[in-house]
Amino acid sequence: MRTALILSFVVLTGTCGEISLSHAMKQIGEVQQFSPAAIFEVLGRSLRQVWLWIAIGLMAVSFYAFLTMLSWYPVSFVVPATSLAYVTGALGSKFLLRERLNAVRWAGVAFISLGVAMAWADPMSLLPYLRHSYIFLREVVFAAALAPLAFYVLSVWSAWRFFRKSHNQTPKSSNDFTPPVSILKPLHGLDRGAYENFASFCRQEYPQYEILFAVGDENDPAVPIVRRLILDFPDVSIRLLVNREGKGTNDKVAKLCLLAQQARYPLLIITDSDVRVARDYLRKVAAMFRDPHVGAVTALYRAIEAPSFGAVMDTMGSLSFSGSALLARDLEGLKFTMGSTAAIPSERLAEIGGFAPLLDVHSDDYELGRRIAQLGYRVELAPDPVDMEFPSESLRDYLRHELRWLIGLRHIRPGGHFGLFMTQGIAWTAAAAVLAPSWIGAAAWISAYLIIRWLSGYVIGVWGLRDPVVRRKIWLLPLHDFFWFFLWLASFAVNRIEWRGLVFTLEKGRMIPVASALRAHE
Amino acid sequence: MEQITSSTRSLKAKTYILLFLMITLGSVGNAILDKGMKMLGPIDFSTRSAIWRGAFQTFTSGTIWLGICCMLLFMVCHMLVLSLADYSFVMLFSAITYALVPLLGYLWLGEYVPIARRIGIVLIIFGVFLVSRTPPRTTPSASAGSISSAN
Repeated sequence: MRTALILSFVVLTGTCGEISLSHAMKQIGEVQQFSPAAIFEVLGRSLRQVWLWIAIGLMAVSFYAFLTMLSWYPVSFVVPATSLAYVTGALGSKFLLRERLNAVRWAGVAFISLGVAMAWADPMSLLPYLRHSYIFLREVVFAAALAPLAFYVLSVWSAWRFFRKSHNQTPKSSNDFTPPVSILKPLHGLDRGAYENFASFCRQEYPQYEILFAVGDENDPAVPIVRRLILDFPDVSIRLLVNREGKGTNDKVAKLCLLAQQARYPLLIITDSDVRVARDYLRKVAAMFRDPHVGAVTALYRAIEAPSFGAVMDTMGSLSFSGSALLARDLEGLKFTMGSTAAIPSERLAEIGGFAPLLDVHSDDYELGRRIAQLGYRVELAPDPVDMEFPSESLRDYLRHELRWLIGLRHIRPGGHFGLFMTQGIAWTAAAAVLAPSWIGAAAWISAYLIIRWLSGYVIGVWGLRDPVVRRKIWLLPLHDFFWFFLWLASFAVNRIEWRGLVFTLEKGRMIPVASALRAHE
Repeated sequence: MEQITSSTRSLKAKTYILLFLMITLGSVGNAILDKGMKMLGPIDFSTRSAIWRGAFQTFTSGTIWLGICCMLLFMVCHMLVLSLADYSFVMLFSAITYALVPLLGYLWLGEYVPIARRIGIVLIIFGVFLVSRTPPRTTPSASAGSISSAN
């Protein structure tokens, strides 16, 4: 206890002192001239900085505590233990000084801390400390490894509650609430099965609705498909709009602004272009708004087929996401919408200021639901999932867009993003298995993870979502967890995202274009 | 564009020169102070006059003053380099002293270096190499701001 206290004191006061010094010097600005007169001038100015005096005070206190620690313990313990300061220093510079630490610098932190510990430790004198910390660490890891397993079990419970109700819903129970609907579809290029996806919206059994498509220019490959649709479904009101204004960095939102302006009906339903729906989709979604407390409705999604390995991983990802969404719905209510469906009455949209405030926002679909929830409305889940035509993407494409999504999440909900560490089943299981005192213990951890994980996949994906890809490929679920863990780690270090060929950095969820985007892309 | 690259390059050069001076002055200053204090022998803290005598001896020793000057210059370099580069960069880079001290002990004094320590030295040097591959500065500054706005 005494060791931990003095160590944290030395490390924290030292780090805070250095950070204050750095802050003070950054306030002064870059020193350009190195003549003695210029240096004295800079020193004079720095002495007038309050932060410099705070730094000196903290560093002096830290140094004194360091000397005290040296009088209690051997150097071979003190120096390696205080190498922890590299980690706290890196965290402090990231969160307090807003420095951007990339993966390489973090790797440097790891190598240097380990190196200092090894170069200065005397193994014999450290043995008792090491043994105690090993046992303590092992218990922490065991406790933490139970968390993802509990998370899987709880999400199965939530899924069971949700799907039991939605599977038993009689088709006639939701027939009597049918406000006129405007379906908004911002398009950018063509997805697989685009015609069939769009046509499914034209075949709705619903009294009054219209479909509005928006493209960026007339040469968009989606234009001929929409024209064909207009000819093939003369009874449905379909309009194609061209958005020529280049507002904001998120061109999907720019198109939504135009679509919302042109929409005639009071209920707006936004769906991504790769979504396909059943004939009773509109009926079921609209019926949820009978309750005036419902501010938005979103939908879970399942794959139609998986044309590539990347798409299989995508399906496993959507299954995992559905599990978290269902659990979140039970625990605190949904606070987001998804690209699969975001249904929102135009009155509610007006309350959050329309789409315009989202023009530079990266995860616009997520943010829309969040803003509605902030006003005190409920975000609900449609009883049926929609079908999604996943693109035939490579593993590399899959990893890239999942990473983009995670980076986006880190910017909108840093707490939720960090909390994902409690859902990393495969990583915690691996750690627990390595630390387990016997082979049987290790095997028990691995079997527990596999059984519970596959069970959760079966209940949520096969029974609940009725996803044909999950049914065939459920055994690949642990592989998804494996990729997901490394993507999650990487999302802490990366700040740049690639979005339709351009490079952006994110600041508080807003996309800032990188000036040298083209160069970086090459 | 050329202006930006040349100013980035000169910023890097200044950072590395200051880091080199800082690391050298810090290590040399420590060594000189260590030597100076050992030359004086243990200070007697038993009576008030003994303490004052010890303090007088300490502050009239040229070696001690040389050490103090080195440490002051070290502090100045440290402050200047922090005005140019990230704290996370400077902090990690200066960890090289932890590798240099045992390495110099081995090279000059022929001290025995056990295998774990050798691995540690290699890890530190590799870690510092990694850090040197990252940009020294990632935050905007008053003058850096004027560069980007000129762009």
